[in-house]
Amino acid sequence: MKKFQNIGDKWLLFVLIILWQGAVSLGWVAPYILPSPLAIVKELFASFQILLYHTAITFMEGMAGLMAATLIAFFTALAMDRYPGVKKALYPLLVISQTVPIIIIAPLIAMWFGFGIAPKIFVVILVCFFPITISLADGLSEVDSELIDLLRSMGATPFDIYTKIKLPYTLSNFFSGLKIAATYSIMGAVIGEWLGGKAGLGVYMLRARNSFALEKVFASILIIVLLSIGIFGLIKLGQKKAMPWAQLQEDEIK
Amino acid sequence: MNSCPDNKILEIEGLSKDYKGQPILENIHLELKEEEFVTLLGPSGCGKSTLFNLIAGLITPKTGTILLKGEDVTGQTGRVSYMHQKDLLLPWRDVIGNGAVPLEIRGHSKEDARREVADSLAVFGLDGHGHKYPSQLSGGMRQRVSLLRTTMFSKEIMLLDEPFGGLDAMTRFAMQQYLLKVLKEIRGSVIFITHDIEEAVFLSDRIYVMKGAPARIVDEVRVPLEKPRKPEILSLPEFHALREYILKQLEE
Repeated sequence: MKKFQNIGDKWLLFVLIILWQGAVSLGWVAPYILPSPLAIVKELFASFQILLYHTAITFMEGMAGLMAATLIAFFTALAMDRYPGVKKALYPLLVISQTVPIIIIAPLIAMWFGFGIAPKIFVVILVCFFPITISLADGLSEVDSELIDLLRSMGATPFDIYTKIKLPYTLSNFFSGLKIAATYSIMGAVIGEWLGGKAGLGVYMLRARNSFALEKVFASILIIVLLSIGIFGLIKLGQKKAMPWAQLQEDEIK
Repeated sequence: MNSCPDNKILEIEGLSKDYKGQPILENIHLELKEEEFVTLLGPSGCGKSTLFNLIAGLITPKTGTILLKGEDVTGQTGRVSYMHQKDLLLPWRDVIGNGAVPLEIRGHSKEDARREVADSLAVFGLDGHGHKYPSQLSGGMRQRVSLLRTTMFSKEIMLLDEPFGGLDAMTRFAMQQYLLKVLKEIRGSVIFITHDIEEAVFLSDRIYVMKGAPARIVDEVRVPLEKPRKPEILSLPEFHALREYILKQLEE
């Protein structure tokens, strides 16, 4: 029953793919403008080895950046919650950091960090750090003050308040932020690779585009999409494991 | 109850408190003896909860002292236990885990704390529910867990701030009887807040009637009804006489 529903939910996707395939097969759209889904999948298998090599590098950059962003976000949010002065000073700066168009400052980033792996990770951190920090900081400030007072009346230290209430409370916010960040992480790595470099899906896409191998470009896009969905799914799974009580509530609603 | 009448465990002398320049509590005197059930009765918003926050040490008074067995504990937290109308259970901890919070804060290891709580589940009628999460419990059950957590911190002086205010009338009456039964078993002493006169008379040994702005204690009423209290006392003439008397005090 559930499986059937899943297919039912995705009917729009199937219809679009069939329409796309039809449009190319019937000659309405030239393949050098838009390659057909079948051609893309064929390309995916044909250059599997080389795609795997570039994907591994992009994946590694994305995950390294995501993890670094999570760590930085965690400590930033803690500092913002503990010291209101830090929050007041930092919050606007964080928002400003997200309004800077990365593509434009990309040459600068390459100048600062060279053409190795560092600038790619830097870009990933730049795009991932914001959603995690904001969701954590907002979560920490939302904790019921009566609950904090109750634990304080028991003689709890600030450390107790964080470990027993604030951090567990923020877990669901944290995962929301992490899910958004994770979908950006692969994109961020690809943008980082466009700045210049020797390997990675971004580099591969640029090369393919410059030689008008559109099906190679689309095969890379397909991988980026699948990879991002995969990471998103893994985090969702981690959330279920980390928060068994939330699962109970959902079951009750059903 | 067999408590010695002079066993005062809590004495409050001349307590006053301002909020934003306005006096809200004025010259409060009250005392609590061992295993006694004392109620602060007054209209909503008259400053009863502020008085609790003072006793819990969360805020400091303008004047006056709070003595715990003769020791001045004014402004100190961690000396009395406190239960709210909201159950304030942690949704990510099961029943035992919630009860273990105060023990963990006091430095017990997680395992010891859980064992100790598990041992007292039966007293609170929570046998077999130890591993359930709060979202799986009814409102009455959640307040039982909240009471369990409160007593895990201290049975000596328990501040109960309208603990049954959020429950429906049927559950509420069941919880009142349940509270008296549990208190008898654990030999706890309670200061209780309510604005419900019947609840106050049914539960208490003594009642402090509070009113006015700033709030003062206008009367102290002894409840001479037989203990343990049975539901039948609700229809006794003495019960009604007391209720009428207190109602008059509040209306004056």
